[in-house]
Amino acid sequence: MWRYVLRRLTGAVVVLFLTTLFVAYAVRLSGDPTVAMFQGGSAPTPDQLAQMRAALGIDRPFWQQYTDFVVGAVQGDMGTSFRTGQPVWAMIVERLPATVMLAVSAMAVAIMISFPLGVAAALRRGQWVDSFSRLLSLFGLSFPNFWLAIMFMLIFAVRLGWFPPSGFDGWRSLVLPAVTLGIILSATLVRLVRSSMLEVLGQPYIETARAKGVPEWRVVVAHGLRNALIPTVTFVGLQFGALLGGTVILEKVFAWPGLGQLALDAVGYRDYPVVQGVVTVLAAVTVLTNLLVDLSYGLLDPRVKVEGGASS
Amino acid sequence: MQQTSTRRSVLRIAVGLMLVAALLLSACGSGSGGGTAGSETPGAQGPNPASERGNHLVVAQAQDPGNWDPIDTFFVAWASVTNNVFEGLVFRGPDLKLQPGLATEWKWIDEDTLQFKLRQGVTFHNGEPFNADAVVFTFERLLGEEGAKGPQQGNYASIDRVEKVDDYTVNFHMKTKDPVILTKLAGYGAVIVPPRYLKEHGDEYFDKHPVGTGPYKVVEYKQDDHIILERFADYWRGQPKIEKITYRFIPEEATRIAELTTGRVDIAVISPSQVDNVKNSAFLEIVTADSPTVYGLRFDVSKAPVDDVRVRRAIAQAIDAQAIIDTILKGYGKRISTFQSSLSFGNDPSLEPYPYDPEAAKKLLQEAGVQPGTKLTLSYIGTATVFGEIAQAVQSYLKNVGLEVELKTYETNTFYNDIIPNAQAGHLYQEGWGGWTLDFDNTAYLLYGKGQFWNPTFYDEEVQRLLEAERSTYDQDKRLEIFKQLDRRLYELVPTVPLYQDVTVWAVNRRVQDFVPPPDTRYWFFETSIASDQ
Repeated sequence: MWRYVLRRLTGAVVVLFLTTLFVAYAVRLSGDPTVAMFQGGSAPTPDQLAQMRAALGIDRPFWQQYTDFVVGAVQGDMGTSFRTGQPVWAMIVERLPATVMLAVSAMAVAIMISFPLGVAAALRRGQWVDSFSRLLSLFGLSFPNFWLAIMFMLIFAVRLGWFPPSGFDGWRSLVLPAVTLGIILSATLVRLVRSSMLEVLGQPYIETARAKGVPEWRVVVAHGLRNALIPTVTFVGLQFGALLGGTVILEKVFAWPGLGQLALDAVGYRDYPVVQGVVTVLAAVTVLTNLLVDLSYGLLDPRVKVEGGASS
Repeated sequence: MQQTSTRRSVLRIAVGLMLVAALLLSACGSGSGGGTAGSETPGAQGPNPASERGNHLVVAQAQDPGNWDPIDTFFVAWASVTNNVFEGLVFRGPDLKLQPGLATEWKWIDEDTLQFKLRQGVTFHNGEPFNADAVVFTFERLLGEEGAKGPQQGNYASIDRVEKVDDYTVNFHMKTKDPVILTKLAGYGAVIVPPRYLKEHGDEYFDKHPVGTGPYKVVEYKQDDHIILERFADYWRGQPKIEKITYRFIPEEATRIAELTTGRVDIAVISPSQVDNVKNSAFLEIVTADSPTVYGLRFDVSKAPVDDVRVRRAIAQAIDAQAIIDTILKGYGKRISTFQSSLSFGNDPSLEPYPYDPEAAKKLLQEAGVQPGTKLTLSYIGTATVFGEIAQAVQSYLKNVGLEVELKTYETNTFYNDIIPNAQAGHLYQEGWGGWTLDFDNTAYLLYGKGQFWNPTFYDEEVQRLLEAERSTYDQDKRLEIFKQLDRRLYELVPTVPLYQDVTVWAVNRRVQDFVPPPDTRYWFFETSIASDQ
């Protein structure tokens, strides 16, 4: 077990190394940050640009800049933002809670919608619940999240006045972004729950359980749902990593001060240290969630042994 | 158990779906029925929801400059907030006229020395006194190593050094002549910062906790969310009327409108297309001001066929700028003859824009030997939706005179920083310019001067001569004469098709009194108040 974890952690470090190397290089290809600072104002002279590049340390060779970044990052220092003059680490720490809060609540909303609905659709195949779950899927998949977000804002904030339209101020402002994102997520999740449930319900042990006289709700929950959870948990785990990065659009619409907005702005301003920092943190979170997902299999299904899983 | 919870969540979603359907239907209804659905919106009539907030103003803007240090920024979004926090030696209020600020008077004591008498009894928000040392410190910082990291230093490159004469007198020794220096001292990098505070806390702290001498002090800042200002009790002009101002940073316009219509925001700039939405709300009103920002199409004069002045003139005459203003901008724009606003010093109001005349345009193109069906590229910023519509209009106007225009879009920073300076923007490209000094010098020199960053290909000997001449004198009458010659020359050469001068549109909650719309969106809330009975 521990050997497996150790091996996975080593793999994670390699992934992080490659990701940061790629991002650090790519962001430098995208343009010059010193020029970006002049946007819409006065025009820079070549001397002034050279001076600023030297002041920011980006006139040095790439390998030197990258080595500095890695050495710093290992010691917990991710450099200083070109735009804000603030330590990148502090900026990320300030933003991370908002994004995690949004991602977790969206995931909770998605689970609350799709588990009951997916199970019901599987049990009542072909009936109205099933059609309804299909309709929800179609709805979630075909409307762009941007549009859905604005519609929800118009209905629930402007028309009904139940929630604030935007901002970050108490649990009430969390509702709209979390529900929007949650509905989008449940579009896929509900289908997945339904099909895993169907597959499991067709297994012989379900029949056996029923024959033994186990009450129907126990058959569904303890024997059915529990086994149907494995593919679902994988999906939820993978989605969580993507969610952290994918909240960008919604963070923008709902003026939610999270990592997504920070990353988007940083790319716009060619703020190299911030782009590198955010990507490193997101990559680390994604790698870790995947590891946790793999480890959780053992808890859900005793047949899966992590040692066995690693060797296959 | 399972069944009921399923039913409940089904019910919840069903209600949601029905509401969406209802909204879609009502949106269709208002389109055909003349806006009756809109007036049923709760809050459109009845009490003003913002009144609950009392003497607390909320302003929304799209961008957070991210850094409040005056030497590190060039964003209008910075000035919109800090105009109330920092002050310069010279003050430029919403009427755009220069008047005494932290200096009570100034004069040229010789050709290269500008002397300022400083205001006494002024303190910074941290209690530190304002005096000659603060001025010297501010400019040493701006012109020194710390300033080199930011974009503001270059603006003040004409200053050699600032010398303290006595506690309330300073001399500015000039390196080169700079006729716009007084305007520049009214803003951005030249606002005065507190020396002791900066020495104690450092630059990094100052970025997030700015301290100035203005009527409002910063009490709370959360990046990309909000900044809160509170009135400064010891302000030298007296007490501002509004107790507290919050600026909220909301990148999406649809969201800003939603916040305005629910009364959670009092003031925001909106685009002309949103005016009707805002008018539905009984407690919001529309306020406008002519902006210093102008928009046009720039030619890359190194590329055939637009290297021929006849072709450029033909294109200028083939586009109906007035129709673009009336339809796309809903009238919120003014025609211009050269690439500067009517607010700018150097503008010649007697110069008439080229009239819309497609026949004359066709004739000019024929004279220049341009074949019908000739292909041109027009590039612009992909996220600039209004300009996107304008680009399409231009495309069809030019089709009328036999030119095929291909549209190309770019990301903002790439466009300004890579495409334009490297002359890769094609035959025609979007150009927008603010001209914060309100003097044609800033625009003309940077856009038409030889070897300038944003001017990769245009050069004219006469233009260059006039540009140098206007910079070498402080005599404003003489400068105006030179600018008029320059206007005429640029008008004839058409390096740019000037399309329109922007009119800025604000939606303002009716409870806000004495709000003077600042053409440059540098808000000044000292005189503004909030009516308690609204």
